[in-house]
Amino acid sequence: MKLTADKKLDLSEVLEDLESYRPRRKGWTWRKGIENQEIGAFVYKDTSENLSHCVPLTSAHAFGDIDPQCDMVITTEIASGNFEDDLRRMRMAAWHGADHIMVIRTTGQSHIDGLIEGTPEGIGGIPITRKQVRATRKALDAIEDEVGRPINFHSYVSGVAGPEVAVLFAEEGMNGAHQDPQYNVLYRGVNMHRSFVDAAEAKTLMADAAILQLDGAHNANATAKEAWKVTPELFVQHAINTAYSRAVGMPAELIALSTVPPTAPPAPKLRLDLPYAVALRELFEGYKFRAQQNTRYIEADTHEASVTHVLDTLISRLTSADIQSTITPDEGRNIPWHYNNVAGVNTARQTLMGIDGITQLLELKQDGVLREQARELKERAVLFLEEILEGGGYYAAVAAGQFVDQGYYPERKGDGIVRDPEAGDGAGSVIPRAADYGAPVCGHFGASLYHRRDGKPCAEYGGCTLCDPTKIQYIDELDAEDNVDMRLKQTLADERQGLLRPEVEKHGDGIVCVTLFVPESPQVAEAAALEMARRMGLKDPEVISRRLMHPSEGSVFEIKGVLDVAIRVADLKLPAREAPLPESEIEAWVRGRDIHLVAATVGEDEHSVGLHEILDIKHGGIEKYGFHCHVLGTSVPVERVIDAAQEENARAVLISTIVSHGNVHAQHMRRLHQIARQRKLRQRLVLIAGGTQVTHELARRCGLDGGFGRGTTGQDVASFLVHKLRDQRID
Amino acid sequence: MSLVERPDDFETRRKHLSSLSDDELQARFWELVGKIVSPLVEEARTHTTPSIERSVLLRMGFSSVEAKALVHRLNERGLLAHGAGRLILELALKKKIPLREAGEALVQGRYLNEVAP
Repeated sequence: MKLTADKKLDLSEVLEDLESYRPRRKGWTWRKGIENQEIGAFVYKDTSENLSHCVPLTSAHAFGDIDPQCDMVITTEIASGNFEDDLRRMRMAAWHGADHIMVIRTTGQSHIDGLIEGTPEGIGGIPITRKQVRATRKALDAIEDEVGRPINFHSYVSGVAGPEVAVLFAEEGMNGAHQDPQYNVLYRGVNMHRSFVDAAEAKTLMADAAILQLDGAHNANATAKEAWKVTPELFVQHAINTAYSRAVGMPAELIALSTVPPTAPPAPKLRLDLPYAVALRELFEGYKFRAQQNTRYIEADTHEASVTHVLDTLISRLTSADIQSTITPDEGRNIPWHYNNVAGVNTARQTLMGIDGITQLLELKQDGVLREQARELKERAVLFLEEILEGGGYYAAVAAGQFVDQGYYPERKGDGIVRDPEAGDGAGSVIPRAADYGAPVCGHFGASLYHRRDGKPCAEYGGCTLCDPTKIQYIDELDAEDNVDMRLKQTLADERQGLLRPEVEKHGDGIVCVTLFVPESPQVAEAAALEMARRMGLKDPEVISRRLMHPSEGSVFEIKGVLDVAIRVADLKLPAREAPLPESEIEAWVRGRDIHLVAATVGEDEHSVGLHEILDIKHGGIEKYGFHCHVLGTSVPVERVIDAAQEENARAVLISTIVSHGNVHAQHMRRLHQIARQRKLRQRLVLIAGGTQVTHELARRCGLDGGFGRGTTGQDVASFLVHKLRDQRID
Repeated sequence: MSLVERPDDFETRRKHLSSLSDDELQARFWELVGKIVSPLVEEARTHTTPSIERSVLLRMGFSSVEAKALVHRLNERGLLAHGAGRLILELALKKKIPLREAGEALVQGRYLNEVAP
């Protein structure tokens, strides 16, 4: 399967021949760091290999469209409910720099005793099945070829079917997975004995397949009211899973700690979060760190969330992180929309580019408050461990509510999570192994007759599926109604008819988001905003963000609703876009003709960057083709521009007009045309305007020959000039 | 059960830690963690679960649907302590039939009485 930039991902092709698909590799892939990498005009300190296809940051336009890739793996979490929609989201995220795709499981999969098969629809995630894992990995193979960097695929080994899910992941080449028995115990109500016994088998399988393990400690941050107070316990949770993993044979390089800076502004975030991050990295030296952005304090304001995430990412760079996980800025208000996956990835990407090399300029002060606080946190964690042992061990400690108590340990509020060791999902299902217990397979943990010094445990029957993948039993679908083929009927019908609908989450869901400021008190303003959305034709409008600007002056609302409109692509009138003339042809025509141009930023406007980019030889501007450019500067009256055109006997005038308050840019354009006409120069002069709010159509309506907006190059303008001047037959 | 409520008595509790160097504190941290996980690991080494047994059967080439049925049947007979994979492999060897055939027969309810540790 091969992807090209101008074609959508073909889902039918993804679903073809899945029964014979095999993953191309097993195990996790890190980025390849490059020291002192020259990219564009800069030398970067903390970057890795460039991508072959990407969408750079928008500001990259001013820096030669470079897209430096940081040295950390960047994660995006995906949870739409339909895996076929997730694939497109993954492709978009990969083009923006994500190389770790974490697929959230559907609600309730933790409690399903066994594997799910086929492609049923999920809620808040997808049911993880062999077919979905396989199809996703197949699509990711094609996406990683397209962007030129390996992509790690990741999901969860938790719940009461952990060992089976781990087998599935090992067989299907999953690259990373969450595995932490404490998560089952504390948050999923799974029986403790079952959870830990299952975990040993799951971890052995993961180690065997070189799957990177993430733990579940960060969930305590998300649960606690005052997340910065659970920090001593977080060390304990990380340590229990880490030590347990090591004891069952998982190597240190496959163990990643999932850590979140616990606070968000207006809390004094870095002062609280940095000592914690430092202490964690000291206690767990030799392990990997997956730094997650904060979700605990995200509300509906995506901008505010992004700023918190910038600070989180700064902490990652000032301490260390092997993986920078991103959180979609809209997580606080809806199931993440696909373009917000991209927004989250971009927050990390932009921050890490911006602070590249910062550790060469700054280091954390090692005397004073940082050291004192780091030490105190470690001591509190040691006291926590002492109490676990005094109380009779891990199970007893959970039964006594020692975990996820809101107190700053050893303070206890008495509100910890309490679980009975003999109760919960799967209670009573743990069976002592008899002396003749045997499991004739690889990746098995614990006592077994088949553990041999020589030869594999599966030798007696020709090898297990981990040694001979042809033995894997592939089930396509179990449900004739709830499956991808049924869901695709609508999608494919739309595609065949050439119909387009807006979407944010699933294919053609019709959801749009409008921003409205209403100048009234909050309650009145909100009712009015909803009514306005209804009158715009939005079905089921719902306020997803409300921000008070002033109690009586007004509030701004973001409202989502369904725009039940399908656009027929064939009916669209697209503005004709001509390719510019080749550079050699432009130059051949211009040189020797002695063509003079006059250029200026007009009105009360001091912007000059855009104009210089179009004109200057050093920016690749039109001078290089042999035009003689007379630049008059900024804030030049339009009359003065025409005066200069007369003096220089110019053939063209280029005005730049950036400020657009009160439509002043349009007035300048009209005026330029009128004055040229009054002086009988209009036939002779090619009149062009440029600026961020300028379009070709607007310039034409104002009487000019052409207009150029964002993204214009010198070549575009030169090509246009040559066309126009040729038509005037000047020689 | 009423849970412990306790003010922050860190300053009094930490006294025995105050003389430890950072390295000693770190060593103590990991020593205590080791003591906490060691009985958990021992339990895992000597116990099994239906999910582990199904995961063994998946690796032996059975589908998730077959593995579920097989483990259910063997668990009903109290045989999981011997290992589902081992029992089916032994049955195949005894009957001189391929492994998958032995499993399929058990799913259909045949040979159940011949499965024994």
